[in-house]
Amino acid sequence: MGRASRFLGKSAVERVNAVNLRKPLILTVVASALVGSLAISSISASAASDPGVSSSEIVLGMQLPQTGAASPGYNKVDDAARAYFDYVNSKGGVNGRSIKLVVKDDTYKAGLTISTASKLINEDKIFAFFGSIGTQTHVSIIKDINRRKIPDIFVNSGYSGFYTDPKKYPTTFGGLGTYTVEAKILGKYLKEKYADKKIGILYQSDDFGRNALAGFTAAGLKFEAKKTSASFVAGTQGSIGLASQLSQLKANGVDIVIIAAVSSATAVAYATASAIAYKPTKWAVISVGADATTFQTILGSKGVPAATSAAMLAGTISASHAPAPGDATDEYVTAFKKINDDFNKGADKRWDNNVMQGMNIAYLATSALMGVGKDLTRAKLIAYLENNGSKLSSAAFAPLGYSKSTHEAFTGFWLGEYDATTLLAPIDGKRVVYTTDSGSGAVTISDYKRPAIAADALPKVA
Amino acid sequence: MKSKKLKVSISAVAVASLISGLVLVGTASAATETCKVGAVAGNTVSTNAKFTVQNVETCDGKLANGAAYRTLKPSNFGGTMFFYVHGFRPSFPYPGYTPPTGVEEVSPYSANTKSDITAQMLRAGYGIATWDRVSANGMHGWNVDDSVSMLKELVQKTNTKYTDINKTVVYGSSGGGPVIQKFGESNPTLVNSMGTFAGLTAVGNSLQSACDLFYVLSVFADPTIKGCAAFGVSKGVPGHMAGLAELGKAGALLTAWSKNLGSPELLHPAPLVGSGIPQRSALLLAGLLVGLPTKSAHMDGISTSAVVPEQSINATIAVLENTLEALATGTLAGQAIGELTGPGFYDNTKTDYSALLSEEDSGRFNLGLSGDDAIAAMLSVLKAAPRIKGDPAAVAKLAVQDKVTYKTPVPAILLSNEADRLVFVGNTVLYTDRVTAVYKAKLAQFEAQLAAGTVKMKRPTLGAVALYALTPETYTTFTSTGLPDLTGPKAVSGIDHQSFTQEQMFTWVRLLAMSAKSGQTPSAGTLARYTANTPYLNTDPDFRPAELKHSDW
Repeated sequence: MGRASRFLGKSAVERVNAVNLRKPLILTVVASALVGSLAISSISASAASDPGVSSSEIVLGMQLPQTGAASPGYNKVDDAARAYFDYVNSKGGVNGRSIKLVVKDDTYKAGLTISTASKLINEDKIFAFFGSIGTQTHVSIIKDINRRKIPDIFVNSGYSGFYTDPKKYPTTFGGLGTYTVEAKILGKYLKEKYADKKIGILYQSDDFGRNALAGFTAAGLKFEAKKTSASFVAGTQGSIGLASQLSQLKANGVDIVIIAAVSSATAVAYATASAIAYKPTKWAVISVGADATTFQTILGSKGVPAATSAAMLAGTISASHAPAPGDATDEYVTAFKKINDDFNKGADKRWDNNVMQGMNIAYLATSALMGVGKDLTRAKLIAYLENNGSKLSSAAFAPLGYSKSTHEAFTGFWLGEYDATTLLAPIDGKRVVYTTDSGSGAVTISDYKRPAIAADALPKVA
Repeated sequence: MKSKKLKVSISAVAVASLISGLVLVGTASAATETCKVGAVAGNTVSTNAKFTVQNVETCDGKLANGAAYRTLKPSNFGGTMFFYVHGFRPSFPYPGYTPPTGVEEVSPYSANTKSDITAQMLRAGYGIATWDRVSANGMHGWNVDDSVSMLKELVQKTNTKYTDINKTVVYGSSGGGPVIQKFGESNPTLVNSMGTFAGLTAVGNSLQSACDLFYVLSVFADPTIKGCAAFGVSKGVPGHMAGLAELGKAGALLTAWSKNLGSPELLHPAPLVGSGIPQRSALLLAGLLVGLPTKSAHMDGISTSAVVPEQSINATIAVLENTLEALATGTLAGQAIGELTGPGFYDNTKTDYSALLSEEDSGRFNLGLSGDDAIAAMLSVLKAAPRIKGDPAAVAKLAVQDKVTYKTPVPAILLSNEADRLVFVGNTVLYTDRVTAVYKAKLAQFEAQLAAGTVKMKRPTLGAVALYALTPETYTTFTSTGLPDLTGPKAVSGIDHQSFTQEQMFTWVRLLAMSAKSGQTPSAGTLARYTANTPYLNTDPDFRPAELKHSDW
């Protein structure tokens, strides 16, 4: 079993994670859906005036690091999403339209994010951006995308600044719970569980780290600069290292080390701690920084055997909004895994958090496109997500938080601990989902009941 | 990290920015006009211009104030005459620099390739005219109003001489922008279309950013830099030498940083000493605060190497490569304008520098800026640093310097490089925004009349469109050690000031001629067709490059 957390969004390495579908709440079932096909190709869809949508096709565009240092793990998300769309297309598409996913490799360099966005818009004529990965990269184009009124859906970044002010970015919708929500939930747990321990934090000094820090602070954790709080410049962990930061935490007697950073930094931090004989009682890592695939890939590139990196990760506390990919009992995992086996044409289709996240946001995108109906326009898709997004189900154990006042995605996480096989298992053996928001809302136990996935693994949305 | 290739000669850059693009073709020696018919050779740069145009009538004469002018009329003249307004020229001699005299640039000229499009224009049947707007009759400095008067005289004189002229285009470059805009507004019946390339449209706003650049460097590196506070204090040669002394301080600073790519930690100011923040982060912040392009002639802001490990470091070197020319402009034009406004035209007491750093830049260049903590520390220092208090009278004069209303009925086409390091591309954005606002207001008025059945006006048309020359996606090259090669070929498009390809310049000219005939800016379809056939011209109709950091609109 793997773990289920989510992506991340910042700096050089980000992560994907789990998912989970649920049954539509108030969605009327379309007749065609009842017979197993969401859309019949013979149905003539109405002509639309927006780019990227015709009577037979919907074109979506995704940007992500397919190559380069930041690519491990993330470079599986697009193939997974495409696999799900291909599956949908094999069933007739959405209202007679097949979904085409055009992907651009930005190598996690914002300059290329800008140029490839232009290509997606002007050459590929996309209808919407979908599932783009990376905070630092996406921040470079989000203003322009919104200016152009192009839907920017299921963004794989947990940075709350993209979502909590829809007046600022009206077309952008998250594909991950925010770092703040996750940090609030994780922070509350740590504060209560380890009340007698000194808790410190290592975070990257950017939007991601600041966002998470705000969440931990909101949870009541207090950090002292230069003592129990250590920061670094994202992107320098590989070259400069994190020795001074870890030594500082060690010198100040920090028992519980929180990491709010990308997986490459997590890997460096663990290796550095080992080198300086620093053995915190517990590591707690924001999910994007604890993705097992990325963590092990990065350490593997430095010659660390998989068994060793798995052992390093074992015992780490993290969070997830979706089931662990290795959870064979989960119906969404089972359904998506089957589709992945049958439709994924990627170079690396091994089932993991990244694949699951790609599948899940593709499932959600399909749901939204179905929900808008035949008369598909950009404005209607945005309105639909704002008005109905919170009712869409997925593999996640928490609903999307979409409304007119926020476009943040999954509002709940469950907490787990990595075992020796890199599976994130629920703490104390029972999965408890906590929910909150990116603001001042309290952390409470969620009463959300995830709807079941349909037998054909297609959304049932009218 | 050391790059000897980045060594910058302050005098070389300053002079280069002064005289880039000068093509001396001779001056008229007689008080009356003299004409001759002969051949005009094409340039040797463009394969499209390696030809000679025969039977061109070239006339040289002088305007009423003694300024030399020149007209060129091909034998296949089609009726469209182009009047060219070149950019700002310092008119005082400096060490190593002699002010140009007489007629120089006669048609759009690219500083990088050192070539114009005179031959192409003549072969296409366009007439050409220009004049000496700098050296005649003791004129000096920023002489927009004088230039408008001279241009008017030249247009009228030429149109009287050649009765077969049926369309008049006024166009030009850089600091010629205000001349063209003012001429278009004050003499709409004399011109059918107008255009600028690398054109200045917002004088006060642009100068404010140039002055900010001096200021930020003074805070982070050299407190002795007075920057724009030193401009306009004296006039003439002494004033310009005082300005150049300020430029020299900045030049020395940048030259030192160029040798180590700004790696050492900041030595100023006291609150940041020992913070670990490198000088390069302060330089990058300075560039971002004033809107300097993060691409330069050699740095694409993307490519990485062993020595340049991250995109934002590439962008930092781009800022380094761009900074001196921007400061040179601030110095030379600032001093010239300061002579008009009086000293004290720069005031930053109300500037919120934190607001000038965009969320996009803060995120995209986070590593180069050394992370959020460093950004906060630097902005905090800037907030607390003593500001420059200007003279309200001079500030007020600058605010209205060369203001136009954007209400001329003359269609305008602007051509700009996306990474012009001297006249920022935001000048074009601002101009087209303002003209578009005027258009929308008129359209609303028209539609109201239409709805009421009382139409008293023609349906308005959009008054200005912009062409943007883009850079290639990547173009940085590195030496075997990973250092950026700053002596190699420059990007073929989109960078530097007044540097365009022959194709880009000629496309612009053809569109101007088209607009002169139609009385309107080109349609979206026409623009799409022309830009698609011109390498590196933007084809995205909704493209919006970086805006100016200061806008009083």
